[in-house]
Amino acid sequence: MNVDSRKRELVKEFSPMLLKSTKWSKIWIGILVGFVLWGLAAFVIQVVKGHEVTGMRDNVVWGIYIINFIFFVCLSYSGAFISGILHFFKTPWKNSISRIVEIITVVSLIIGPIFILLCIGRLDRLHYLFLYPRIQSPITWDIIAIITDLIGCFIYLYLTFIPDFAILRDNSEDVPEWRRKLYTFLAIGYRDTPTQRNRLHKITRIMSAMIIALAIVAYTVLAWIFSLTLQPGWNSTIFAPYFIVAGLYSGVGVIIIAMYLIRKYFKLDHYIRKVHFIGAGVILLVISLLFGYFTFSEYFSRWFSHKTHDADLLNTLFNKYFWEFIFANYIGVLVPIVILFFKRFRTIKSITFAAVIAVLGLWLNRYLIVVPTLETPYLPIQDTRPEFIHYSATWIEWALSFAGIAAFVLFFILIMRLVPIIPMSGIIDYEREGKGGTYSVTQYQLK
Amino acid sequence: MRISFFKYSLSIVLLSLFLASNIFAQEQDLSNYRMRFRFKSIKQPDGSRILEASFVATNKKDRKDRVPVYEADINFLNVLGEEKVPLGASKTSKEGIARITLPEDQYYLKDEEGRITLMALFKGTEELDGEEEEISIKDIHLDLGLIEKDSIKTVQVKAHTLDSLGVQIPVEETDIIISVEGMLSKMIIDEGTIEEGGYEFEMPIGLPGDVNGNITVYAIIEDHDDYGDVVQKNTESWGILNEQHKEDENTLWSEAAPIWMYVVLTILLVGIWANFVYTGIHLFKIKKEGEELELKTENE
Repeated sequence: MNVDSRKRELVKEFSPMLLKSTKWSKIWIGILVGFVLWGLAAFVIQVVKGHEVTGMRDNVVWGIYIINFIFFVCLSYSGAFISGILHFFKTPWKNSISRIVEIITVVSLIIGPIFILLCIGRLDRLHYLFLYPRIQSPITWDIIAIITDLIGCFIYLYLTFIPDFAILRDNSEDVPEWRRKLYTFLAIGYRDTPTQRNRLHKITRIMSAMIIALAIVAYTVLAWIFSLTLQPGWNSTIFAPYFIVAGLYSGVGVIIIAMYLIRKYFKLDHYIRKVHFIGAGVILLVISLLFGYFTFSEYFSRWFSHKTHDADLLNTLFNKYFWEFIFANYIGVLVPIVILFFKRFRTIKSITFAAVIAVLGLWLNRYLIVVPTLETPYLPIQDTRPEFIHYSATWIEWALSFAGIAAFVLFFILIMRLVPIIPMSGIIDYEREGKGGTYSVTQYQLK
Repeated sequence: MRISFFKYSLSIVLLSLFLASNIFAQEQDLSNYRMRFRFKSIKQPDGSRILEASFVATNKKDRKDRVPVYEADINFLNVLGEEKVPLGASKTSKEGIARITLPEDQYYLKDEEGRITLMALFKGTEELDGEEEEISIKDIHLDLGLIEKDSIKTVQVKAHTLDSLGVQIPVEETDIIISVEGMLSKMIIDEGTIEEGGYEFEMPIGLPGDVNGNITVYAIIEDHDDYGDVVQKNTESWGILNEQHKEDENTLWSEAAPIWMYVVLTILLVGIWANFVYTGIHLFKIKKEGEELELKTENE
């Protein structure tokens, strides 16, 4: 195989994805920017008028911001976890999804912590967290974990991008000058020599193992923010592994949705194939079984022990939040299991549908972990008017939530404009190792 | 097929939003609530009397859902037969409580048995019906003595009422609670019954006092049919001084964390950052090799 000509072919194949904008893609980006601006307007109102404009009050001090924070951060951790496993164990079909996973990891780790900032009533005192940290506080552990994980994920993502930056630098004749300069800068002189290749593979492999460990630590610390308190519904010994499983569940779900959309809109049917969806679907099935098991254990032990406050919480969940509870913990688990368990249901669309249900169920599951517990506190507080006890999100919170989702998609699209969504270097490595024949990973070969 | 897939997804999203309707708004309907109007009198240690009315709406289905009636005008009256003497008026607070304090020398209308009938009255508004509550009490005189009998610290309670001629009548069969003042609330140290106008018990030793070693003891009659609420207190230097609190070190609640936390955190962070640095060094080497290759190519 002539590696240089193969690189040129791949660049030629992926260039339209990087350079050309269609009318619909511009409209789509415009809509996303619109959502982000709407969120910014809501943010300005929140900063000027204070948290009064949100539904958060003395009892329910955490609302959908913290739910979005957990959701995005868990998404990131699960992305890092899955990506690390794909690289570390050299999974055969990693080329098709590894970059999607890596981008999800980094983008959600940027978006997630923004939501925690929105929860803070006195943003002007934010630096106190760093000036006067209490090492005993899980919040401090979480800050350390998130910052470390963010840096680790950035380094890891960058390592996986370097060979592609080098390929783009050497084979992009018709690209604007700024883009070529950017590729040259980011490729840091990588020439794909055996020494450089071995060195890069070595540090990428070590970083992938590190990323798995970091994700587990960060997941655990995030769960401890809840489980180390004595609040009913939170004080649980299995919360950390439960969070890991739940995070993986939502992570795999979002990856499947992203695979479906990217495959459809960039016409990458020959790279992201049914076999990949089935593989991801089976993983989703295993995780959904685990998630269902953890959810059952969690609620069953609370119901059986019947401590006063736990019983109050379950009563709230089964009355006030009945349908949300059913959707989050029954439909959100059982529908994906049924679809993914039977072979004949395993089509690309049904697997994606199962993933959508799983992701929606998971978001609602987070809502049910946070809000009902805060609505049933241990200690009565002064001036407990009903609107202070019961939480309902305001348009400001919804605007910022949708802005977060829009920003996530926007960043995702922007990164896809910088590097191909299918790692070219991965395809080269794959073919170099002589496996290309079995898996036919390129359009070229299909022709 | 493509359209139907999006239809499915959209209907699920809409369904979930519909099902989660109660996260958007909560409505309160007055017909779901039962009004609770309560009235009590509390005689204070200085002889003054607090009249307190509480006005709260309670959800018929969910007893935890209580809505205090705010800014309601409550009139307090002294009643004897047809005669009604206004004692004062107050608006309910955010907690639904209206309160007035009557001085020690307040004149009350009394019946032949010496009973004072007091009334709390809410006249009603367009939305809320009027409410009234009446209590009938006797004026009780409660004395609390903290004395030492044969070196034994003793709490002595004496209670009497006065008849129409001013003769003292000892109080009988009345439950009393003895407590001491704490930082946040009162701590009960004894409960008993006043017989023949008196009750006494031995004060437990070893209770902490304030900075001067003083301890404040309360004698409280609670929600009595004949006397309402009555509070009396006395202070004596019977408390022991708290030993100087030794500040804990390296605990979860001290300023410095347990040593093991620093050790674990340091190991974790050093391990991770060493790996970051290691990666950085290798990236630098890759860059250096690239530059050398570039120079070599240029020279050739």
